[in-house]
Amino acid sequence: MIRIIDKESICDFKSMHPSMSLRDAVCEAERCLLCEDAPCSKGCPAGTDPGKFIRQIKFKNIKGAARTIRNNNILGSTCAHICPTDKLCEMNCSAMKLEAPINISALQKFAIEYGRQNNLEKLESSSGSGKKVAVIGAGPAGLSTAYELAKKGHSIEIFEKEKMAGGVPAWNIPEFRLPADEIAQDIGKLRDLGVIIHTNQHINTLEEVDKLKSEFDALVVATGLNKAFGLNVFQDAENVTDYMTWLKKIKFSNSEMKTSVANKRIAVVGGGSVAVDCCVSAKALGAAKVYMISLEEGDDLPADKEEIRLAQRMNVIFKSSSMIKSIDMKDGKVSLLRGMEIAWKEPENFNPSNATEVEGTDFSIPVDYVVQAIGTKPDYYNLFSELKLGPKSCFVAEGDEKMWASSGCTFAVGDVVNGGATVVRAVGEGKKLAEHIDKFLARGEI
Amino acid sequence: MKKADLSVNFCGVNFENPFCLSSSPVGNHAEMCSRAFDAGWGGIVYKTLNVDTSFKIVMPSPRLNAYHYNDKRFVGLQNAEQITDRTLDDNIMDIKELKRKYPSRVLISSIMGFSDSDWEILAKRSEDAGADMLELNFSCPQMARKDAGHRIGQDYNLVEHFTGVVKKHCSIPVMAKMTPNITDMIPVALAAKRGGADAIAAINTIRAITDIDIDQKVPMPTINHQSGITGFSGPAAKPIGLRFVSELYNSKDLALPISAIGGIETWVDALQYILLGGDTIQVTTAIMRYGYRIVEDMIEGLSDYMIDHGINSLSEIKGSAATKLIDPSNFDTRHQVVSVIDSEKCIGCGQCYISCQDGANQAIVFDTRLRKASVDETRCVGCTLCKHVCPVWDCISTRTVDTRNQSHAAIF
Ligand SMILES: Cc1cc2nc3c(=O)[nH]c(=O)nc-3n(C[C@H](O)[C@H](O)[C@H](O)COP(=O)(O)OP(=O)(O)OC[C@H]3O[C@@H](n4cnc5c(N)ncnc54)[C@H](O)[C@@H]3O)c2cc1C
Ligand SMILES: Cc1cc2nc3c(=O)[nH]c(=O)nc-3n(C[C@H](O)[C@H](O)[C@H](O)COP(=O)(O)O)c2cc1C
Ligand code: SF4
Repeated sequence: MIRIIDKESICDFKSMHPSMSLRDAVCEAERCLLCEDAPCSKGCPAGTDPGKFIRQIKFKNIKGAARTIRNNNILGSTCAHICPTDKLCEMNCSAMKLEAPINISALQKFAIEYGRQNNLEKLESSSGSGKKVAVIGAGPAGLSTAYELAKKGHSIEIFEKEKMAGGVPAWNIPEFRLPADEIAQDIGKLRDLGVIIHTNQHINTLEEVDKLKSEFDALVVATGLNKAFGLNVFQDAENVTDYMTWLKKIKFSNSEMKTSVANKRIAVVGGGSVAVDCCVSAKALGAAKVYMISLEEGDDLPADKEEIRLAQRMNVIFKSSSMIKSIDMKDGKVSLLRGMEIAWKEPENFNPSNATEVEGTDFSIPVDYVVQAIGTKPDYYNLFSELKLGPKSCFVAEGDEKMWASSGCTFAVGDVVNGGATVVRAVGEGKKLAEHIDKFLARGEI
Repeated sequence: MKKADLSVNFCGVNFENPFCLSSSPVGNHAEMCSRAFDAGWGGIVYKTLNVDTSFKIVMPSPRLNAYHYNDKRFVGLQNAEQITDRTLDDNIMDIKELKRKYPSRVLISSIMGFSDSDWEILAKRSEDAGADMLELNFSCPQMARKDAGHRIGQDYNLVEHFTGVVKKHCSIPVMAKMTPNITDMIPVALAAKRGGADAIAAINTIRAITDIDIDQKVPMPTINHQSGITGFSGPAAKPIGLRFVSELYNSKDLALPISAIGGIETWVDALQYILLGGDTIQVTTAIMRYGYRIVEDMIEGLSDYMIDHGINSLSEIKGSAATKLIDPSNFDTRHQVVSVIDSEKCIGCGQCYISCQDGANQAIVFDTRLRKASVDETRCVGCTLCKHVCPVWDCISTRTVDTRNQSHAAIF
């Protein structure tokens, strides 16, 4: 949850979440009502247990608070930065009925920093079970599954196609929302447990998959969503890109991007959180005008309220209830977007086919770059044909809690199953899957 | 996670950790005590037993009032509670059951008699039920009988006598629980020692009045239009408890182990009592407010402290702060400080200025244009009032002045 929007930090691509001082943390924890049933803890999909760590801070057991977070959530620090807490732990905070909810993410961040500064001991790996598990993909889901399985004494190797672990949080989430060091610190815990992360290991063929299956007792597919959708109108235009490429470039070639984006006009297509990240980043780079073009409008925008507030504060221009109809091209590049405003034929159905054009609302926007943020789907599903494929090319979840997919010794978890959710949910589902695999491996022994 | 060894040997009894329930409703019966042991408490002082055939206890109602300070709730608790109102048979059955279920945890039976034979019966039956120790309640400030509770604790002859009676009839170690409602606790503690006490527990609650209903013009808690001066406990009582415990520890004649009580909520409070001489720790009010779960943070916090400071056993640090207490007549007045205000952190409220102006030595200069306060070192007497009233936690600090070659307002 974004409480203060610090524009300056955003433009410097530095963390926009200020650290809490000891005093502020104590005062904030002091407000906690220590509810009997800790609704905050129930609201955390990863089981981080805020009810417990807030109590620990309140009773001056701050190192204990850091330990609780570390034990319960591999990505505790990442989550403290980017969890939509107003929809999770803070949503049912009893303190809200008196004043404001407890600022849980800030306390979580505080406790973790306190642990680092006070030499919180490393996790010790438990004795080996002799079982080996391979994980494809070092994003939140893969990391979490690996962490829990390693804690239970299994040997884990992760295969990651990129040169660095972390998945979307490491590659795509803007630096001002999540500094790279935070996720790196989180991942460091896996190395303490002896988990091996092989980077630059693109698992791309059936042979490679078969090899993993023969060498390991179980295989976890946590490959996330990697294929961005695009609108047909933009087909081969040079200056049109997808959000993944855009955000990655901003994160890793920041100064080059500054040069090319400064004072330019950018149009971002999409109305979700990802579109907001693209818009705000463009503004932070110094773009003259940034348009967020979406079918939805106002409260119907899929992006969180806080994120919309952030975009507004950064002077992003909302071109809501709008549809792009055609484009003008110049030298292989899009130069002008032409569109119309829309209305919905039946309410609450935000499918493009339910839209009608509103006459007389034609508009045109001159652009230098277009970024498409209209969704992604999984790739590589054909490598794991044993898993059941559902809508949007995601694997179909099973079990009572519907948190992962499985077939034999192949399991899938995270965005590749849930179709794209949150980091904390990927962590939680990874934890649950690890419990399941642990039992599966034990059964194999008998 | 590495865990420090928190065990303590107290009068020959081994406590897995020093944290105990003190005698009160938090240890009223077996079911409650089981949950406390399950939560991790090292010992329990069971709610004070009574020979119900000799005196029937009826609790007044309402029996509690909390002391709130502005928006800060529950900084202290006043209670008009009596000792147990359950029958002795029921309580003895519970003690037996608890010792059967938790043989390695410490169960201390708190007792209060109204005659030699009461004390004898309570001591014997507790020991037979399996209690590891006895605690003699010489300190309840609101007994429904005039010859009991803190009235005994204020009369050292009775303390010595009843301790002697108990010691004659039991073989387990005996603690005497002291009342703070007395000018000097040492003579009473020494009387208990003469009677044979093996340890001292302190403090029980402080006689107090927490509030008055100004419309009805009755103090609270209001028991059918009347009230009484009754026992006060909780965080606000801690400074008084710390004082008594340090005095007990520093008494060379006494030299008995101490079970420290009074306003303990966190491991830091507990550690402070240990540094002043406490061997074990007892808690009531914090449990009444927050539940048994707080012991988890006491254990984890104290264990981390010990590991971080390389302490192997609590006995290594016991009393190490108490020995630094000297008589105020011996303070080194050549050592003086002046206050230093960090102007970066100063928010310009001027609270320090007002306090120093009207409550100290007019040594703060308040620049109303810049809205910044600064210290005039030629006037600062180093009392630190400004530091304590400042709403910014780390804005005002002190600097030591070498009074041999520098003048200081407190001296010159
Ligand atoms: C721009 C953006 C902003 C977001 N903001 C937030 C937010 O603020 N808060 C929040 O909670 N969530 C946010 N999310 C969602 C969150 O990032 C995802 O839900 C989460 O990362 C899913 O984790 P995952 O492990 O399933 O997949 P991913 O994070 O996608 O990880 C998959 C990993 O697998 C690797 N991989 C894929 N295929 C292969 C292969 N064949 N061989 C080897 N490795 C492979 C990838 O390189 C990647 O490292 C955001 C998502 C995006 C795109
Ligand atoms: C409601 C209440 C009842 C108490 N009853 C007893 C008792 O029966 N026997 C006793 O020795 N002390 C009794 N006490 C005193 C406590 O054991 C303890 O000495 C005192 O409350 C100070 O500790 P604290 O600040 O942790 O509460 C009682 C205290 C409270 C608040
Ligand atoms: S819900 Fe809110 S008040 Fe209750 S325990 Fe959680 S943070 Fe505290």
